[in-house]
Amino acid sequence: MAQTDTQWPRYQVFLQEKANAPHQDAGSVHAPDSEIALQNARDVFVRRPECVSLWVVPIAEIFSRTAQELATQGLDAEAVEKGTQEAEVSTYCVFAKRRSAGTQTYIGEVEAAGPVQAMNRAVDKFLNDQPAFAWWVFPKRSIVQNERDSIESMFAPAKQKSFRMSMDFHTLTEMRRIMAQAKDESKQNESS
Amino acid sequence: MYGATVDTIEDPKSEDIKLREFEARIERGEKIEPGDWMPEGYRHQLIRMISQHAHSEVVGMLPEGGWITRAPTIRRKMILLAKVQDEGGHGQYLYHAAETLGISREEMLAALLEGEAKYSNIFNYPTLTWADIGVIGYLVDFAAILNQTMLAHCSYGPYARAMVRISAEESFHMKQGQDIVIRLAQGSAKQKAMIQDAINRWWWPTLMMFGPHDSDSPNTAILVRWGIKTKTNDELRQNFINKIVPELHALGLTIPDPDLRYNEESGNWITGEIDWDEFWRVIRGHGPCNKERIEARATAHEDGAWVREALDAYAKRSGN
Repeated sequence: MAQTDTQWPRYQVFLQEKANAPHQDAGSVHAPDSEIALQNARDVFVRRPECVSLWVVPIAEIFSRTAQELATQGLDAEAVEKGTQEAEVSTYCVFAKRRSAGTQTYIGEVEAAGPVQAMNRAVDKFLNDQPAFAWWVFPKRSIVQNERDSIESMFAPAKQKSFRMSMDFHTLTEMRRIMAQAKDESKQNESS
Repeated sequence: MYGATVDTIEDPKSEDIKLREFEARIERGEKIEPGDWMPEGYRHQLIRMISQHAHSEVVGMLPEGGWITRAPTIRRKMILLAKVQDEGGHGQYLYHAAETLGISREEMLAALLEGEAKYSNIFNYPTLTWADIGVIGYLVDFAAILNQTMLAHCSYGPYARAMVRISAEESFHMKQGQDIVIRLAQGSAKQKAMIQDAINRWWWPTLMMFGPHDSDSPNTAILVRWGIKTKTNDELRQNFINKIVPELHALGLTIPDPDLRYNEESGNWITGEIDWDEFWRVIRGHGPCNKERIEARATAHEDGAWVREALDAYAKRSGN
């Protein structure tokens, strides 16, 4: 029954926690179009107030290579040289995972004709700073994000729900107090 | 393209050398990312574990969901609603992590709805009173946190990252449950009796959540070797028991185990033997609520069909 019931294409979700922090990979959602993808991304990844901006990008637009893939397969030399698919040069966003236990994080942009050339230029431009375990590039124009006037309505609801924050509960301190009290009482019982 | 990288590697090295290099990376504590070479067994074990974990989050919404309309105060209702919504989100994070290994969302959903997929046994038990909501948060979610904190260090990048996100939110789940349990344990005689009854019913199923003894767990050795698990079922279960037993005692509650004793030498609380017949009976589909859970999930899926159809029609018309 579920096989005929498509869950639609996947969109990668990038989340910005603070105004000056870079966007980072959060995971993915399925959606019939980019508008619903953005809405789903909010519902799935922003139930708490630590987000100021979301990007969704169709997964088909993302070109990914791990350090291992680059080392063992390299890149298609012709595509690096002449570009692929599109003749026109456009801007690509570059993401890298630089710590082994890290997350794909926005590190900058390159101009390129096609994803393979973009990957090559990204590695050239950024590898010297610091090596990375994995790289993602995608055309900047494939990003879908909120219009300026809808940002408030998108992220405000999560800010009012303090009751879903772990910090709102003081049970760990309370439990320590209860345990200390129980210990005192059992000591008193022993001595009396 | 990202999804298609899975089987495009044509490395001339022999499988043996690749396996040795893979295990050396695990040994160094490196994370494996989608696109990296991995043994088929590693991919298979991860798909099995992550999809079961995702299903557990989704089915886990059901036992608590029934209490949303019956919560004792508006604040408790908002908290429970938020918690159940979190579980739905956690299921989504995990389905995403499994998808990076090449399995589709459709395949995983079909396996759940057709009753073929496994999920945590604990959700096949009924929630009879409000006290059960406290015990699920306090005991069941604490057991889940121990497992998830371990998995946040696992060797597969997307699973580890999903676990970091989930663990942060689970801390709220446990504390709201602990809060309910403390209130009831310090409340009227009737409230105390209600929370004691809930502990009596949930204690043993919670211990079973950690899975069979290490000696009966055929997957453990390879999961530890490949850095998917860093602790065994019995180690995690013992951590749980050592933390929870003194807390329940301090709250004036008893544990339904006449053999429970403290071992001075090891510093461990030792329990009586778990009823493994019950464990296997429930896993094989004969628990108190297995049928009800899958039926509720299937009904929810069918009832949502019109929403999916409407979104589809809208996307086609607007063409974006």
